Amino acid sequence: MRFDEVVLAIMKAVDGQRTISSPYHLIKGKKSGQTIQDIGYFRLHPFFAVLPKLDKKEYLASIERLQAQGLLMPHDDSVRLHRSALELKLPPTPLNGWKYRGNERRFFARLSLVVQTMSNFMQGHKRFDPVVTDEAVQAWAKSYLKRVDFRSSAVQAAFKNQIEQSLSAAKATEAHKDILMKRLSGYGIGGHTWDQLAAEHHILPIDVKIAAIEALHAWLDELEGMEYPLLSGLLEGIIQQSALTESAKRTQNLYERGFSLGQIAELRQLKTSTIEDHFVEMAMNDPAFSSASFMDGQLFESIHRISKEMKTMRLRDIKERLPEASYFQIRLALAMKGEAT
Amino acid sequence: MNLEKLLYDAYGYTEFRPGQKQVIEQVLSGRDVLALLPTGMGKSLCYQLPGKVLPGAIVIVSPLLSLMQDQVAQLKKMGEKSVVAINSFMKAEDRERVWNTLGDYKFIFVAPEMLVQPYVLGKLNALGISLLVADEAHCISQWGFDFRPDYLRLAEALPKLGNPQTLALTATATDKVTDEIKHYLKLSDPFVYAHPMDRQNISYDIRKFDNDKEKLEAFLELVADYGGPGIIYAGTRRKSQELAEKLLALGIRASFYHGGMEQQDRIFVQQQFANKELEWVCATNAFGMGVHIPDIRHVVHFQLPSSIEGYVQEIGRAGRDNLPSLATLLYAAGDERLVESLIMDDLPEPHEIEMIYERAGEAKQLIEQGMMRETAYRIISYWRERLPLEGTLNQIEQLKKEKQRQAASVRGLVHSSGCIRHYLSKSFDQENPAIPPNCCSFHGIDHSLFKAGKSRLKAPSQGGWKERLEVLLPI
Repeated sequence: MRFDEVVLAIMKAVDGQRTISSPYHLIKGKKSGQTIQDIGYFRLHPFFAVLPKLDKKEYLASIERLQAQGLLMPHDDSVRLHRSALELKLPPTPLNGWKYRGNERRFFARLSLVVQTMSNFMQGHKRFDPVVTDEAVQAWAKSYLKRVDFRSSAVQAAFKNQIEQSLSAAKATEAHKDILMKRLSGYGIGGHTWDQLAAEHHILPIDVKIAAIEALHAWLDELEGMEYPLLSGLLEGIIQQSALTESAKRTQNLYERGFSLGQIAELRQLKTSTIEDHFVEMAMNDPAFSSASFMDGQLFESIHRISKEMKTMRLRDIKERLPEASYFQIRLALAMKGEAT
Repeated sequence: MNLEKLLYDAYGYTEFRPGQKQVIEQVLSGRDVLALLPTGMGKSLCYQLPGKVLPGAIVIVSPLLSLMQDQVAQLKKMGEKSVVAINSFMKAEDRERVWNTLGDYKFIFVAPEMLVQPYVLGKLNALGISLLVADEAHCISQWGFDFRPDYLRLAEALPKLGNPQTLALTATATDKVTDEIKHYLKLSDPFVYAHPMDRQNISYDIRKFDNDKEKLEAFLELVADYGGPGIIYAGTRRKSQELAEKLLALGIRASFYHGGMEQQDRIFVQQQFANKELEWVCATNAFGMGVHIPDIRHVVHFQLPSSIEGYVQEIGRAGRDNLPSLATLLYAAGDERLVESLIMDDLPEPHEIEMIYERAGEAKQLIEQGMMRETAYRIISYWRERLPLEGTLNQIEQLKKEKQRQAASVRGLVHSSGCIRHYLSKSFDQENPAIPPNCCSFHGIDHSLFKAGKSRLKAPSQGGWKERLEVLLPI
């Protein structure tokens, strides 16, 4: 995907309902209630935090291009797409920003140091300037290298082989993989800057950045399968582990496969109230959790309004003022901060 | 003590570079030392080696974050493990960890702004400092080209640290600046080592043109003819990018480098240049630190430098291997106007000074609203704590005069007729050096000497990611 297509993909989802700057916050990975709720509501998981350092100027340049092409209508503040944009087919993307949350960069920084170290050592050089200056990453890489016995040529061969196997299997284009690999350095061979990559591939620097992230996400998806032990070692702490209890996680899995609350209770042979607890837990831990299938937006608002007015989180107090709401609905709404989704 | 043996045992070197031994001897004898050593002459060894002998910690105060990081990296590269850097950008928990294990470190790098905190001073005091090193000591001088108000805080912290033995290091200092360093750092009867700043293997070429077009043509010809490795200094980020694009269009392997690039990309350009994948780097003055390449053959200034000190530092990156190297300054009529406006832009205006005195509490908003520049704010806020409004206005006025003097001395470099080598030495109050062959454009240069070296460049690797993986990990 080009950067403009990422912006467009978000805009297609929020057309008419969000401001021009909302895609910017999403791409940067802003952790505000609004942005997080939007992810769940508009299904924008792929694009969250794909460019945490996105410069406002670069974003505005994209807006200008979209307007110049007539895809985006100049409209003071909110997103209004032209029909041609709504009909436009966008390419599929391996992006999975919500899952990796910017941690893919840490993985790549570790990989960069490990590859650089092996590259230098296998060619007889023990002193070199580390390509990553972050001391925490350096310390991590050092202990990893020691642990895997990186001086052994068998380990080096296996490491290289696992890179080749897993990256081959990753569902990204060859061009994107080329770009990602050129961000690695070794003995006598430096990484390429974004500007250099842009010139080599005849696209904008910002498009190269997206391409690298796409390749990286596709690669991580492949590595998660754990068939590449040396590379899986680099994943430590990279993939967000669920904050849910085991039982709630099972409920969540079933819910994600499309089962309703009642069906889950039946399937799992558990009381409905237990499953309700799981949902409250999910609502608290998953910022993108949507309450839409349990109550309408109006009821959700009312619960929050009354809770605020009465300065209370007590279920019974709220229930007295809002007899039409169930206790479960009140608990769920209170577990979620912010507006209805 | 046999210093040569110590040097060999510690780092595997068999001999000292000029000046190092004298400085280290004096440091070990307990005297305050002020050492003027050109960049690339191994300044850091002057405290590293004493660190092997002295019982307590070596505290190095370094004015620039990037410089500090580079030095820590270099020390680690030499195998030194007990090194740590403390600055205000560290995460709280990291800093906490470092404070609690401070005794484990021999070399402690500290940013000057940390030295105002009583907590920091207490920790350092408890540790026992054997030697305090003021790196880039010229930054303490308001009259220096590189004044950093934060650095004056070091002077204020010294008594609170019990006035430890001090080693002041700098690459460039005039007599005036030297005096100020001695004064602020309270160096008592210091041993002063001043290495001649003249570099006999560098030829100085100044070429003048009637207009920008002619200058640009001559520039492109020069780069195409001579081959690298070379650095081209431009006055602005935009210009560095423009020049790189022009060279790339001619099929010359070049890239740009400036402070606006993300750090990873800056490191990549340094790597490529060191690996000879790149022939030329078009850069702002941000390029230099962290570049440890001995065989840079050319330093070209496409625009006038903003001070003689800065100029000497930049051309000093050429020919560290002592082989003939060429420093070229390209000048088109009217170029000094750009420099003068850049220099003056850095200085606080009287209205900004008054604003800070009246509305200091709102400084952040004022900066955000664009009513005040951050650089200006930093300079003023230092003086505001110490002087009434009139005094600060006076300080800044003096600073302005000094900047004008610097600009005049750059103009003099271009317009005075005479030996360039002598002009530069005179600017540093040094005696006239000998005139080597190919001294400068005044004495004449045999340019054929510099038209070589292209063949040593590596061919860029082509092909897809699998081929690259093969090159990265050839097994």
